[in-house]
Amino acid sequence: MGSSNRKKKEKKKDFAKAKLKVGREKAKAANFTDTSFKSKSISINQKSIIAEGVDQVEQFKQNLSLAVAAKSDHARRDALAYLVNQLSARPPNNPVGIAGLLTKLLPLLSDGSPPVRTGLLKLFRVFPPAEVGPHVEKILMYIRGGMTHLSTDVRSDTLNVMEWLLEVAGDDVVSCPGGWLKTLNSFSCMLGWNPSVGSVLVSKGWTSASKTTTIGMGSKNGREVQARQIEVLAKFLQVGFRQETPAPFSPMAYWDNIYRLPARANPFAYLNLFGVPRDEDNEMYPDRISRQRVFEAKWETSMVAGMTGAKKEGGLVGRAASGMEKVLNDEVNGSKSTQA
Amino acid sequence: MVKRKVAALEKVDADLVSLQYKIRRDPKSYAQEFYDQWLSYDAQRHIFVSSPSTASTDDVKKFHDLVDIVAHVADLYPNLTAPFPDHLKDLLNQHHAVLHSELREKVVGSLCLLRRKEVIDSTSLLTTLFPILISTPSKTLRSLLYTKIISDLRESNSKATNHRLNRTIQTVLHNLVTSDRTSTKGMWATRITRELWRRQIWTDAKPCDVMKEACLSDNEKVVAGGVRFFLGGDKEREEMEDDSSDDEGIDIKRVKHQGGINKKTKKRMKQFEKAVDKVKRQERKKSAPHPLNFSALHLIHDPQGFAELLFQKHLQNTKCKFTLDNKLLILQLVTRLVGLHKLTIISLYSWFVRFLTPKQAQVTSFLGSLAQATHNLVPPDALEPLVVKIANEFVSEASAAEVAAAGINGIREIAIRQPLCMSETLLQDLVLYQRSKDKGVVMAAKGLQSLYREVYPELLQKKYRGKDATIGLRSGEVKLRKFGEEDTGGIEGIELLEQWKQEQREKKLAEQAAIEAEGGEVKKIDDDEDGFNSDEWEVGSDDSDESDNGWINVSDDEEDGEPAKKRPKQSGEMTDEDKANAIAEANRISVLATTSILTPADLAKLQELVREANIDKAMGGRTSKRKKELIARHIDEGVTAEDIELPATIGKKSTKEEREALAREGKPGRDEHKSTQAIRKSKKEAEGKSSTNKEKARKKNFMMTLGKARAKNKRSLVDTKASLKAHVAKAKQGGRRRNGVA
Repeated sequence: MGSSNRKKKEKKKDFAKAKLKVGREKAKAANFTDTSFKSKSISINQKSIIAEGVDQVEQFKQNLSLAVAAKSDHARRDALAYLVNQLSARPPNNPVGIAGLLTKLLPLLSDGSPPVRTGLLKLFRVFPPAEVGPHVEKILMYIRGGMTHLSTDVRSDTLNVMEWLLEVAGDDVVSCPGGWLKTLNSFSCMLGWNPSVGSVLVSKGWTSASKTTTIGMGSKNGREVQARQIEVLAKFLQVGFRQETPAPFSPMAYWDNIYRLPARANPFAYLNLFGVPRDEDNEMYPDRISRQRVFEAKWETSMVAGMTGAKKEGGLVGRAASGMEKVLNDEVNGSKSTQA
Repeated sequence: MVKRKVAALEKVDADLVSLQYKIRRDPKSYAQEFYDQWLSYDAQRHIFVSSPSTASTDDVKKFHDLVDIVAHVADLYPNLTAPFPDHLKDLLNQHHAVLHSELREKVVGSLCLLRRKEVIDSTSLLTTLFPILISTPSKTLRSLLYTKIISDLRESNSKATNHRLNRTIQTVLHNLVTSDRTSTKGMWATRITRELWRRQIWTDAKPCDVMKEACLSDNEKVVAGGVRFFLGGDKEREEMEDDSSDDEGIDIKRVKHQGGINKKTKKRMKQFEKAVDKVKRQERKKSAPHPLNFSALHLIHDPQGFAELLFQKHLQNTKCKFTLDNKLLILQLVTRLVGLHKLTIISLYSWFVRFLTPKQAQVTSFLGSLAQATHNLVPPDALEPLVVKIANEFVSEASAAEVAAAGINGIREIAIRQPLCMSETLLQDLVLYQRSKDKGVVMAAKGLQSLYREVYPELLQKKYRGKDATIGLRSGEVKLRKFGEEDTGGIEGIELLEQWKQEQREKKLAEQAAIEAEGGEVKKIDDDEDGFNSDEWEVGSDDSDESDNGWINVSDDEEDGEPAKKRPKQSGEMTDEDKANAIAEANRISVLATTSILTPADLAKLQELVREANIDKAMGGRTSKRKKELIARHIDEGVTAEDIELPATIGKKSTKEEREALAREGKPGRDEHKSTQAIRKSKKEAEGKSSTNKEKARKKNFMMTLGKARAKNKRSLVDTKASLKAHVAKAKQGGRRRNGVA
């Protein structure tokens, strides 16, 4: 049979010794699998390739970039811890400056991993308070982004940052452009005390719960979270409505005003000479009176309504709400006293 | 790290995609969540805008996602998202150069999405995208914007022509071309206009005007774009139409069959309905009247001025430094215009003189252009020196055969259009080249000779005139047309239509008479042929079947030998006296043309009749070659270099590639050149069908057939006889296939 002859030959071929020739590659085996690959970049699992004795500045920068760009959570957290160490040393070692640190690290506010976020807060806490002031507007932008983040954890961690910021630069927070109304907006959004969304819905003849679902109906510690939010809001309002102490008289103030370079960054910010025109939300509310006025006009009703609702719930939330009520009452009293 | 436990709700909500899905399902309940995202979009936007070029990748990614979700649900919360389109526009306008490419793409895509959801209108979208298209340095962005602009224009013109939008965009393009004539920005105007012209979205005079301005630009690229449009835009449009009518694609039977077999789901149901809908739409499209689109060359306003300007600016102007290819393109356009509209640009002909030497690069193109520029209203004085120059330069015993053939053919092409351009001695000289040894030259010379036999036989020597021309000269049938003489006008073929109508009426009368004779009910027919019948305004209406019968009758009559009234020259009836006949004919024409309005159905019929008459004439063999040629070639097509080079290629052996290309012509969809059988077989195999028994038998291993063959040899005589008998009997029945048996 012809075909069987052919098959026999084929079978024999398997056992024949392959001839090797000079200058030619060895024939590939039948079951050879090509495992070569091409890549435009190389990713390394362990980013840190620190050798001992590297320049301190370089090391700092390396850790900074690791904190931002490292793929693994651990690496980021460790890098942040390193930065905390450097900043808390006496004297603090910070070759890039607060501004540089902030631009790099602020996006980490909404980082996916909780240890990184807490590490970031720790780092913020070792910043010298005086140097944070000029960057408040920028930080606030990220905070507002974090406060409306999808994840509840990110939101609550962002609140901690907010708290820190209120502590170190409270006046700047409430008086920077967009710092008052926009932040209030974010707070009310977090708490679900939002009048503008309500109006969108009610206009169609339907009522609906304006409370967010993400506030923690499902999550275990929803009450605690809400209480915390109210607490921070109360702090924010407190800072906003704080009585301003008039500057003490100094005989040189007049001349300083004319001839000295201003001590603050961007002292004419309220004129908004070079920026885009601001709308109501983005406007600066530099003093207590203006803050009060705009709060009464826009937020008081919904805030008070939300607050009373929260107070009725009792427990942690109720306690926080009554704290806030106290702040608001103080504000009313304060405004009366100033008016009187 | 231990995996953190997350509450169910949080887990689900933690990505924007599922949130988007939920919002779309139930916008009211998720208003609060959307508002959250809106705020965070706003915050992210501020972060981004504060320093767009140095934004971290994290920020960009976040912003990208937020823009995405807001764009997708913007139509559900119109109050909240009112400023969103403006945000995107500002972002794109101010930062398109520094934006991260993905984000940029997303912003553009989101704007288009908003347009599709009708949050913004086309005009605002296009006026945003267009300035960026012409100013951005990024190639990817440009191509993205280009496709988006085209698709948006298509979409907004899909249901009905959006005249306002078209006008706006056309004005923008016009301004773009005219505002700065030296810049390459006009390229975009030409590209967009050409594409929309190709897709038949723009078919009026305004885009032609844009292209006209592009042709008069100072920038070479823009000019080339404009000129190419006029030279090839209409052909492109036709091809596009053919392509789109070809793709039927849906086999409704198959879809139905699958519906019967597969599980019945809503999705399949929808698929089926869609398929049916599509097929129906296609059918409707087929039966719809053909859109009457004018060619771009006909839509040009003031062709004389345009051609003159084009010629002066780019060709006559010695400072113009365009490449030869582009100059040739411009020349082609100018001469096309001259030929088509019968324009007069006298300086054009003297300009040609310089280029008519065999050494000139692409001289055949010049010859073709010259032929194109010739029409019967060009003064012979202007052409004669050119013809003489061609003859002197190209046609001599010493010149190469190809050159001579091209020269003679070029002269012939000119002479077809203006026979008066030739002097007697020159023609006689040229005609003598039919004694040449080269086949190409012979063919070209013979072509010239046969042309002059028809149009101007007096110019030929007597022995070259031929029988027909000699007889014609004697009977006065062949007459020289003087300069400027035109055919007396009328509607071509109107007499055919009238005759056909007459026949139709007679047929109806006969039918009626038959019915009357039978004693049936007499139906009143409208005797009035001019009576207004609304059906006739539809081309594809019922009477077209009837009309088919009609023209068969016409040609039948001719075959019978009954003289048909067709064209004044050929009809046998009218040989009595030419003049009286012509007058009568003119009267008759005017009767039909002046007393009735020709309906679209009439016009369609007229066209059909004329075509038939032409074919009949061509088949009859009595028509001249020249007329056949003129019939074959549409007036709109110009003379190309290939036409001039054609005779030179006669008798030359072609290469294998050329032959293959020739064989492949008109057989699309073959990636390699192989037999139809092989193609069929591979197709069958691809469809998973098995081979035939015959094929199996043929392929069967030889060794396996041996046994049977051996057995056949060992049969007894009786067995052999029986099988032979059976074979004969079977053959008588027509074989296994029963050939020839009903």
